[in-house]
Amino acid sequence: MADAVENKKNIAEGVPTVTLTIDGRETTVPKGTTVLMAARGLGIHIPTFCWHPKLKPMGSCRMCYVEIEKMPKLQVSCALEAMDGMVVLTDSDLVKRGRRAIIEFILMNHPLDCPTCDKGGECDLQDQTFAHGVDDSRFDFQKYRFTEGTEGSTFDDLRIGPEIVLNRNRCILCYKCVRANKEAFGEYDLGAYERGNIMEIHRAPGRQVDNPFSGNLVEICPVGALTNTDWRYKIRVWLTQTTSSICPFSSSGVNTLLYKDDHQQKIFRTTSRPNDDIDDGWLADVTRYGYQIATSPDRLQTPLIKKDGQQVPATWKEALEIINKRLNEIKDKKGRVCIGGIVSPSLDNATLHSFSKLIRVTLGSNNIDYRTQYRMLPKEPENVYDAMSARSFKISDIDDSDVIVAFGSDLVKEHPNEYLRIRKACNFHSASVYSVNPYRVKSADVARREMIYKVGTEEVFLNGLCLAAIEAGMAEGGDLKEKISPSTAAEAAAICGVDAEHLKELAAAMANGRKVTFIAGELVSRSRERLCISSALANLTRLLGLENKGQVSILPHYANSFGAGKLGLLPQPPEGIRNALTELWGAWPEAEPLTTDGMLINMKKEEVNGCIALGCNPVMLYPDREFARESLEKLDFLLVADLYETETTGLADVVLPLASWAEYDGRYINLEGRVQRANRALKPRFESKPGYEIVEAIAEQIGDKLYESSDQCEQEISRLVESSNVQPLPDKYFDVRPAEEESDEEYPIALFVGDDPHHSGHLTEKANSLFNFCGEAYIEMSSELAKKLDLKEGDSARVESKVGKIIVPVRISTTINNDVVFIPRNFSSTTVTALLMRKKRTDRVKISKVVN
Amino acid sequence: MKEILKALVDVIWKMPQGLLVTFKHMFKKPITLDYPKKKEPMAPRFKGLHYLERYEDGSERCVCCGLCAAACPADAVYMEPDENENGERLAKVYEINMLRCIFCGFCEEACPEEAIFLGREYEFATDSREGFIYSKDQLLVPHPRKESAFKRTIRRIRKIYGVEESR
Amino acid sequence: MSFYSPVRTNAAEVAKSDRLHLFKYVEDPQQANIDTFVAHGGYVAWRKALTSMKPDEVREEVKNAGLRGRGGAGFPTGIKWGFIPQASTKPRYLVCNADESEPGTCKDRVIMERDPHAMLEGMAVASFAIGCHLMFVYIRGEFGHCIDVVNRAVEEGYAQGYFGKNIFDTGYDLDVIVHSGGGAYICGEETALLNSLEGHKGMSRIRPPFPAVEGLYACPTIVNNVESLASVPHIINRGSDWYKSLGTEKSCGSKIFSLSGHVKQPGNYEVELGYNLKDFIYSPEYGGGILGDKKLKGVIPGGSSTPFLKPEDIDVGLDYESLTTVGSMLGSGAVIVFHEDTCIVWTIMKLIHFYRHESCGKCTPCREGTGWLERMITAIEHGRGRPGDVEKIESVCENIMGRTICPLGDAAVMPIQSAIKNWRDEWQYHIDHGKCQVKTNTEFV
Repeated sequence: MADAVENKKNIAEGVPTVTLTIDGRETTVPKGTTVLMAARGLGIHIPTFCWHPKLKPMGSCRMCYVEIEKMPKLQVSCALEAMDGMVVLTDSDLVKRGRRAIIEFILMNHPLDCPTCDKGGECDLQDQTFAHGVDDSRFDFQKYRFTEGTEGSTFDDLRIGPEIVLNRNRCILCYKCVRANKEAFGEYDLGAYERGNIMEIHRAPGRQVDNPFSGNLVEICPVGALTNTDWRYKIRVWLTQTTSSICPFSSSGVNTLLYKDDHQQKIFRTTSRPNDDIDDGWLADVTRYGYQIATSPDRLQTPLIKKDGQQVPATWKEALEIINKRLNEIKDKKGRVCIGGIVSPSLDNATLHSFSKLIRVTLGSNNIDYRTQYRMLPKEPENVYDAMSARSFKISDIDDSDVIVAFGSDLVKEHPNEYLRIRKACNFHSASVYSVNPYRVKSADVARREMIYKVGTEEVFLNGLCLAAIEAGMAEGGDLKEKISPSTAAEAAAICGVDAEHLKELAAAMANGRKVTFIAGELVSRSRERLCISSALANLTRLLGLENKGQVSILPHYANSFGAGKLGLLPQPPEGIRNALTELWGAWPEAEPLTTDGMLINMKKEEVNGCIALGCNPVMLYPDREFARESLEKLDFLLVADLYETETTGLADVVLPLASWAEYDGRYINLEGRVQRANRALKPRFESKPGYEIVEAIAEQIGDKLYESSDQCEQEISRLVESSNVQPLPDKYFDVRPAEEESDEEYPIALFVGDDPHHSGHLTEKANSLFNFCGEAYIEMSSELAKKLDLKEGDSARVESKVGKIIVPVRISTTINNDVVFIPRNFSSTTVTALLMRKKRTDRVKISKVVN
Repeated sequence: MKEILKALVDVIWKMPQGLLVTFKHMFKKPITLDYPKKKEPMAPRFKGLHYLERYEDGSERCVCCGLCAAACPADAVYMEPDENENGERLAKVYEINMLRCIFCGFCEEACPEEAIFLGREYEFATDSREGFIYSKDQLLVPHPRKESAFKRTIRRIRKIYGVEESR
Repeated sequence: MSFYSPVRTNAAEVAKSDRLHLFKYVEDPQQANIDTFVAHGGYVAWRKALTSMKPDEVREEVKNAGLRGRGGAGFPTGIKWGFIPQASTKPRYLVCNADESEPGTCKDRVIMERDPHAMLEGMAVASFAIGCHLMFVYIRGEFGHCIDVVNRAVEEGYAQGYFGKNIFDTGYDLDVIVHSGGGAYICGEETALLNSLEGHKGMSRIRPPFPAVEGLYACPTIVNNVESLASVPHIINRGSDWYKSLGTEKSCGSKIFSLSGHVKQPGNYEVELGYNLKDFIYSPEYGGGILGDKKLKGVIPGGSSTPFLKPEDIDVGLDYESLTTVGSMLGSGAVIVFHEDTCIVWTIMKLIHFYRHESCGKCTPCREGTGWLERMITAIEHGRGRPGDVEKIESVCENIMGRTICPLGDAAVMPIQSAIKNWRDEWQYHIDHGKCQVKTNTEFV
């Protein structure tokens, strides 16, 4: 009874409830709750195989039998809705007999190869046989074996994807993998074939199971039917220790568990650490297999020093002495402002903050930036782009939003975790999803309407939305109409190349929606016109009052981008942060601040002579490779710290080995502003050191110790994080006058450069598994375009822009439209950023076939 | 006089009696062994140095499941699994630290693949601690080998657990 | 024109009778033709319902008539129609379950082949009663000929204005889609049928929600058997009181029984519900006695998924209630007769092979259980039985019975349970001696 009262408190008011009795205990649950969930609420465990909390019930394994008074048959509790006055028995003799029978049936054709099976030790079937089964089998026939297609494998194993091995004999047909693939991820590369007792789970004919969420299928498999190749036959689960960590590749801060062995100093796999507020227990493959960057043998082993044009290994002491000497030389030669600091937004708070102090206090420079991958960053402080990209946003609020707009974002590639949330909102809560992009994307598969605007017309589209809302009388425009162009929605629609009706439909949906989530992505952040677009977005937000009934945000892209913003790693941080920092440090450099862009320009002009690049690779990722390279080459002194040898370390005078995120305790701030901790799983490999130790060592060498203890640094960080609030949007409309889009006859095709769904940034190509999914760059294009260019899948295409050319294989895709191509930037073997020009808004290329 | 007589009796009568005992043992079978040349027969359940069995075709029985290591009370077993080209699981590293081992035989009992057995060998002294860490190559029985004690053992185990042949 | 599957019917007797109605014109080669059908009084009920009745009235009429589903479960049709949530604004669908695949049953096939308009008219009336504008006929894929005939009938119906837009100038639209099944027994189960119709794998869905609430494309859907629908026009034409007067008190109307097995005259016969089973087998109009005048061994009264009856139990009425009292069911009305030379183990082996092959594989007890049963029973039949096997089979049956999503699991084990109960000595003989007690009979008709 006490439980029932307790439960009642947690149920929101106005929600209809039912009261039932489970094993003699009464409980009150919201109407529509299943008996299984009601029992779990009471702490009564009902065993299951096919039930998964994030999937719709299927009721196929029949393990979750319960006995209900007045019902003659056993009922499956996972699909049975709790009714008022129900009397449920979960442990009666009949239930026990039923479970025992199910275990016996399942074990009938299940091979007893637990010694070789990797699931052994964490297998649902083992556990439940132990708990509910009998120790002997009455089945005295040969077990059925699936042998088709498994010639050459002793245990009938079949590789169905780059990283997945299927053993159909072990499969107990719970269909969780197929359902998750279909319901949660929207992928159809795995299916159930045949029927009856010879039914098998198999990849779709002619396909590989290589979708960006495929690792989850292995994790939810209750037996060892699906196994990862990275974990396969490496270690027994009971010999590993777990460390809770977070994903360093996505801005969501997905919670993970690292399975490691202290003896071998190795991480063996990553699994999810379900956190319903963030990830629902699903991991994208880049998160799951990305741990391999930490354990790769290619890691930098010692510091490197350039001697006579050659980089040679050195000790830390030597390296630090050289750093000190060279930095002093530059200081003496030119004055203080000629040093720049570029840092990766994937590093933890302590590293970022101490780096900030090193640059600003010790070196007295204001040139610090974490955004190495964007072109033409705005110089103005406290601009509307910074404001729009640091709105408060809650991932779990996507769930009950009824209108979701994904604008300028290829979600699967940029924010896989949010994509799954949107799917969930669509599947379980019938949310209306609108996908607005310059090209067709995979994530639009759940969209009620997919709108494709012409490349480079983002702000016109947003203006069009404002106009459509005003024209339909859905919002009071005030003086907005005069401030934006074009003047009518129809005109805007024509410029964007979308249907005016669709524009109206979206405006109406956003105006009338109960709760609206508006996500803008990298296509806004990366655009040269990001200020203009964010202004248009701010107008729309204000016009429709979106902040009051939902959330609008330009989502940050990297694990700690949000944190870097909050800690003031911008050349001109918002005033609040600047004041707080000045107060903490007692000083603020007078020098004129420079963004990454500005630094590179000044390097080229030889006005910036020294640079410290921490964990980042501007040569590879800055959207103008030649420009970045030439600028960095002109430096007197370049210090780079990274995990691997990269293009940028190749130019460096001193290279320091950086520890990966799994090798130290670090805190990260995800896109919601949630501070999360990644624990140390391993010792730093070789001679590498965590970022904050490197920064501290440099500062100490210079003679200006930054912090007495790490606590001191942490305290400063927490004060900063607490003090910085979301910037309020100004109470006015912005002028948004779209610029004319330049076109070029010679280079007709728009090029988009971004992350491959299986990669993130410049490090993940070193992860073996991710390399197996995708190991080289490709050019993704529609079949129509390929036909026009006389290209076939796998052909080599020469892609040329005004500044560069590369040759890449062709990949025909169904999710990209005609005049657009996409090339991933994650591979050092393909210098795709060499095609880009930093001053252009849209990168345009021409493509021709390479004839051998 | 009396004492002299008594001493004579002792010498003539009792001394040979004592010597008789001595000489009697000259003809008895000795109870000690000429150890390195001769050896005491073992009890049938003697647990000596471990060995890893093979299948008849010479492939290893051990699949490196880790149960012996899990069962080991002295934590003497260490292993790292690997995969061969047929997708079979086998041990890449299999080590038993004989200094730690208490020869309880739990590993033999835990083994689901009938791969590890405690043999008869007890002479494995070496002069370094490292030498007592036996690697897989040292533990595996040579192939082929003549004796078939292994088959008998398996038959016995199967009989105990009543494993039936399938229809 | 029309193809005649050489099945004996009692059309002549029905034509004379005032009470029997389904088979009246079934022997007429032109009946599949719409003109002949209309000349024989067809589409009158459709016109009457649409022009002079309200949907509620039609539903009441069918409910009062006491028509029960002829597919197997025997759920009252009118009540089923009433389950559609009236407040729902979603479109509604009617699906005619013409996936007749129960072994021994071939009644719907005769209607579809020889009198397709009777079914279509019934569907039209039913659609009107539930307010549906799109109805589906899900025909078993193996019935290629039926599909042709029904397709032609649908075309004729459209041409003459019985379907399509604005029927009889009432503004009522009704469209028909004929869908060929994928060849699975399980698709005769309504939720699996809906899955199959949607293009998914034929696997039954978990209930609730029931199809009447969330069926085809998550919209309210009614699934009815061919014979039930074909009976509807007669109820509309002659009134529910007339229909109620047929048959017994609780099992109203007449029903087609497919008689097969060791009888002299197998065929489809329409009789009133409650007709005596013994008479049905032995009467010269119907079965005409056992093949070779041998002794009767057993009867399956309602399709292969119903329990066996022993000879002493067959003096019973062919209706829903009476058969239940002797431990069997009416099912789909397929009476299968076995004479004394039939080996029961062999018979069951054949049956379980069928069910194992047709199990969809969704839920564990049916998927694994039928496979196990098949192997055990096959082993017994082939002389590899072991002592205790019969008890093991019984226990496995018990573990399947009532534990599955759809009734296929129950259907598979019910004949086995009754066969063991009735002829246990024969099973035991098989195990002990490795051969049949009776002369093995493979001339199964």
